[in-house]
Amino acid sequence: MADVPDAIVLKRDRDLEGRQYDIWVRRALLGLVVAVPVIALFNVFGQKPDTHLLVGPAASLKIYAPARLRGGLLYEARFHITARQDIKDAYLVLGTGWAEGMSINTIEPSPVSEASNSGRLSFELGHIGAGKSYIQFMQFQVNPTNVAWNRKQTVWLNDGKDRLLTYSRGVRIFP
Amino acid sequence: MDIAFRGAALFLFMFLLTRVIGRRELSSLQPFDLILLIVLGDTIQQGLTQDDYSVTGAVIAVGTIAGLQVVTSYTSFRFPWARRVLNGEPIVLVQDGKVIEKNLQRERLTHEDLAEQARASQIGSLEDIQWAVFEPSGSVSFIPKQ
Repeated sequence: MADVPDAIVLKRDRDLEGRQYDIWVRRALLGLVVAVPVIALFNVFGQKPDTHLLVGPAASLKIYAPARLRGGLLYEARFHITARQDIKDAYLVLGTGWAEGMSINTIEPSPVSEASNSGRLSFELGHIGAGKSYIQFMQFQVNPTNVAWNRKQTVWLNDGKDRLLTYSRGVRIFP
Repeated sequence: MDIAFRGAALFLFMFLLTRVIGRRELSSLQPFDLILLIVLGDTIQQGLTQDDYSVTGAVIAVGTIAGLQVVTSYTSFRFPWARRVLNGEPIVLVQDGKVIEKNLQRERLTHEDLAEQARASQIGSLEDIQWAVFEPSGSVSFIPKQ
């Protein structure tokens, strides 16, 4: 047999002794790499919006917003209020998690007024007659450095100082 | 600081990727592979610096990747056990003109691939090869029969 090239060890490099399992490690790691986009198809990493409906005696509130996001994403949150009774002065109040590390690009239609309610974002929507609807559109962008595991994004619907509905949700933001 | 973490995470991911996709894919750069390489670079860049257009950001990102590359290279140089993990080891594909099928299959190479590589090294027949070694770099080294 001709001389074996330098640095080649036949048992290791030809017969693959001690390397039988390397291929399985490689395949397992490749499986992990491929698993990430497959898992992403199931909305694990966002940004498909969820719809939540709250119904109270005075009003119903449908929230349409993603609960999983990634840094830099543009997304929409939609708040659909349907008054079951006359709401004299509707307030949509959003917890601090809605604004923390987010750019709020648009709020349409513009609320009558905006204020801070103990640090929360309070939007005065005005009068909503019984049976009427009000849809508040908000466009956001996640700031690239914003990362959160389960940040609270509570939503309140008030009539003046009376609380009509409360919804607690969390948002997960992937880097 | 965020860019340094992003840089480190993406470096590790790309390193893992190059180790697991196999040498066969890395060794040949067809026109499509070249396009894929550019797309990959562009995709990585967006995740790395995002909306940071500053020189400082670029310096942090490049510094992180360069630093990790040196660390990887030094670890591989200094520790033989790490070399196996970080660089891989050669695999003998042909000995005395005989193709070692199981090694060829392991690297997803065909006889045609091997023959193509041999032709590029001025070898017309696999029988004329004394040794063919699939190197960790993804290239095949041929030592012809005397």
